[in-house]
Amino acid sequence: MPTQKNVELPDIGDFDAVDIIEVLVKVGDTVNENDSIITLETDKATMEIPAPFAGKVTALSVKVGDKVAKGDLILTLESESESAESLEETPESAQPVDQNSKSSLAQKNVELPDIGDFDAVDIIEVLVKVGDTVNENDSIITLETDKATMEIPAPFAGKVTALSVKVGDKVAKGDLILTLESESESAESLEETPESAQPVDQAKKDVASEVVTNIDEKNETFKEEISLNPDSNFHASPSIRKLARELGVSLSGIKGTGKKGRILDEDLKSHVKTLLENGTSVEEVEVIPLSRIKKLSGKHLSKCWSTIPHVTQFDEVNIEQLEKFRKHQKEKNIKLSPLVFIMKAVVQVLKRHPNFNASLDENAENLILKKYFNLGIAVDTPNGLLVPVIKDVGKKSLMELSEELAEVSLRAREGKLDSSEMKGAGFTISSLGGIGGTQFTPIINAPEVAILGVSRTQIKPIWNGSTFEPTSMIPLALSYDHRVIDGAEGARFMAELNQVLSNIMEMLL
Amino acid sequence: MIKTQVLVIGSGPGGYTAAFRAADLGKNVTLIERHPSLGGVCLNVGCIPSKSLLHTAEVINESKHASDLGVTFSKPKINLEGVKKNKDSIVQKLTGGIQALAKARKVNVINGYAKFISKNQVVLDDSNEVIEFEQCVIAVGSRVTKFPMFPFEDKRVMDSTDALLLDDIPKRMLVVGGGIIGLEMATIYDALGSEITIVELGGQIIPAADKDIVSPLFKKAKKNYANVFLNTKVTSMSALKKGIKVEFEGKDAPKNDTFDKVLVAVGRTPNGNLVDADKAGVHVNESGFIETDRQMKTNVENIFAIGDVVGQPMLAHKAVHEAKVAAEVICGEKSGFDVLTIPSVAYTDPEVAWTGKTEKELKEKGIDYEKGVFPWAASGRSLSIGRSEGVSKALFDTKSGKILGMGICGTNAGDLISEASLAIEMGCDMSDIALTIHAHPTLSETTAFAAEMAEGTITDLMPPRKRK
Repeated sequence: MPTQKNVELPDIGDFDAVDIIEVLVKVGDTVNENDSIITLETDKATMEIPAPFAGKVTALSVKVGDKVAKGDLILTLESESESAESLEETPESAQPVDQNSKSSLAQKNVELPDIGDFDAVDIIEVLVKVGDTVNENDSIITLETDKATMEIPAPFAGKVTALSVKVGDKVAKGDLILTLESESESAESLEETPESAQPVDQAKKDVASEVVTNIDEKNETFKEEISLNPDSNFHASPSIRKLARELGVSLSGIKGTGKKGRILDEDLKSHVKTLLENGTSVEEVEVIPLSRIKKLSGKHLSKCWSTIPHVTQFDEVNIEQLEKFRKHQKEKNIKLSPLVFIMKAVVQVLKRHPNFNASLDENAENLILKKYFNLGIAVDTPNGLLVPVIKDVGKKSLMELSEELAEVSLRAREGKLDSSEMKGAGFTISSLGGIGGTQFTPIINAPEVAILGVSRTQIKPIWNGSTFEPTSMIPLALSYDHRVIDGAEGARFMAELNQVLSNIMEMLL
Repeated sequence: MIKTQVLVIGSGPGGYTAAFRAADLGKNVTLIERHPSLGGVCLNVGCIPSKSLLHTAEVINESKHASDLGVTFSKPKINLEGVKKNKDSIVQKLTGGIQALAKARKVNVINGYAKFISKNQVVLDDSNEVIEFEQCVIAVGSRVTKFPMFPFEDKRVMDSTDALLLDDIPKRMLVVGGGIIGLEMATIYDALGSEITIVELGGQIIPAADKDIVSPLFKKAKKNYANVFLNTKVTSMSALKKGIKVEFEGKDAPKNDTFDKVLVAVGRTPNGNLVDADKAGVHVNESGFIETDRQMKTNVENIFAIGDVVGQPMLAHKAVHEAKVAAEVICGEKSGFDVLTIPSVAYTDPEVAWTGKTEKELKEKGIDYEKGVFPWAASGRSLSIGRSEGVSKALFDTKSGKILGMGICGTNAGDLISEASLAIEMGCDMSDIALTIHAHPTLSETTAFAAEMAEGTITDLMPPRKRK
């Protein structure tokens, strides 16, 4: 018989409130144990939270944009798992996961745990008093044996409501030390249904440890990042401090690249080198943290740049026809940018070259061809680069595309894009034509396999067979993943794109 | 008139180090010492002779407990002359060594008492010889604090220097001051057969250290000594024919008692006021300390000061480090005193050592910390050498896990503490220490175990808490 079981956010480390940037399931979905249910984003990283057990989603308690912390309810699963069954037998014990039970307080006794082979041990210090609030593992009393002193930690958090011992008392295992008024679920369930609480507790622990393993496996860099504590001061060993004195530089502005942010000899030397090259002293630099978008996209970009074997194919397209058409429309007060034509032309060519509208799977073994034509359009925003996705480009008119592009770009610049609007592209276009430049090499937005870069249109003297004619030429750069696309294929794609763009009637084909 | 590039006043560990380092860096150096032998308090009437006597005490104590190991010695006969001879020969060996090293470096050693007459000159008290210097290092150290209320004119009232002379073994001896020096001397005289009483003004012996770290030593003292009076003041002391009558004011102490000898070990006073530093324009503060910057420079550009005379802690190893800084700065190097920790050691039985921040300092400063405490009763090595007392406590920053301090009580604690000092200087985390393989079975393992206690990864004991 199925039971309803709540899934709460497990301990994810030192974070108070973390943004949910993605909800990966909806009511009615069936999830397996360890399937990701939501994606969280902290300053440092994004992480996916897996389902602690399998089940059917019967209620969702969070949405994108919510801030959550440890213990917050995420969703409810209808489950037939073993641990759920043990819960079922004693329905009261299921209460702790119920929101209502959180407000009820329970008095719970704290007894001396097994401390080893001692009959009666002196209490030499009582570290709490009635009214104090203690956290789990806070020391509550200090014991002294012939051999050593030891502090006894609180087994759970709570408020001290009664103290049963004083300094000088002798205590043994099982003696009452104090009473805590506790809001913690585990304490409550312990009290009410001592037997059934045990497996629940165990299940929780397992979940927590699974979450940790999961994070570690899925995101190799996660661990390293959280150990770099930005609040801890710089550290440099005595020999590095000596070197810094000799070089006359302050260590405080240097970012250490050693383990745990330690400043290394190389860091110091390259810092000094930079200072010398810039002809500045250490006081004149300013450290500005990167925006969150830059930090996130930077990580993605460097991964794309370093893992994909890029080839960039350049071309220039005669857009005299296109420009004439645009001019003509403009006279009728219809403004169309070259970009919407390029989008249309790209889709036209993608249809003939499905390998370009595809993604490579994680193991680089399978190509996933996309049967839809969604284009990512890189947009420059004050906070950094964003890539909203225009869906079904093939089915939309130039006018529709133009309007949608204007609207989406505006929202991107205002920071109002939804994360779902930045997903699902098969191919990306980055246009810097409005700014300038003759060419650039765009970085492929993995898992996509190709990207088109557009630079500024220039009027160039083109030989028409008898004379040099002033001609509007638009520079294009196509970067593609050489694991998926051969050079000849890349060149063919570019040639066909050129063909379509320079003869806009072909777009109608 | 003698001319020198660098003049060093005082030949203690700081003074001779400054002189030797400056000489090695190419300076012409003159070293002045008022006593006939080099080495200062440390070598002549401090660290070295006391350690020699403490070793004698250790041998006596070990022989007493040998019966536990199935070996019985007859009651030791103490030949006081032999004990003194051993101690003196060690001192002579070391001071002679310094003399030889000075000669090898062509350091000009002058015996005399120097006083400043200007910022570039000192005069020697007895010969009136003037020595002109370019740069000077004041390394004149400290002296025993002698309160006028104690009748030091009576030979039965001793300071630490007197006590090291070992004139006799008093039947009943009072040690005034439960600090490092008082407790070390108590250890020596207790082993030699005196009945010891210790009186301490504060609420714990070795007040600078954490109470839990001192506790094993305190327990042993309570057991072995006639009395240990805490929170007790000595209000008066008078020399009677039958002994030194001492009046106490304290909850546990009697109103008065009479002792055969009294050792007063209540601190040391810096010697900043004894060299006419004002004539060189060097500022000496009210307590007699000479203040310096981190390059050991005084307020006068060419005059440096190091060691006990510049401030607490008055420890030879601090003076030596400062001496190198001063000498290097004098020789144009960009040196500086920027250590993160200066360890402290009491060579008592058991030894007490601590480095970095103490737990009480962390509490005062409101720093979030975690601690790992390992009782030596669980150390195989400690038990093998017949000792079950002792404790190692490591303190870590809660947030970063970085080591903040360490305290150890137990056999060889003074030798074990250096690992923690290195860890602090290198910015180690608790896991760095816990994950470093420490040879088994050693006492040094207790440091790793303390880190494991904090980490919750210990297996030789039950971990005190589970880490998430």
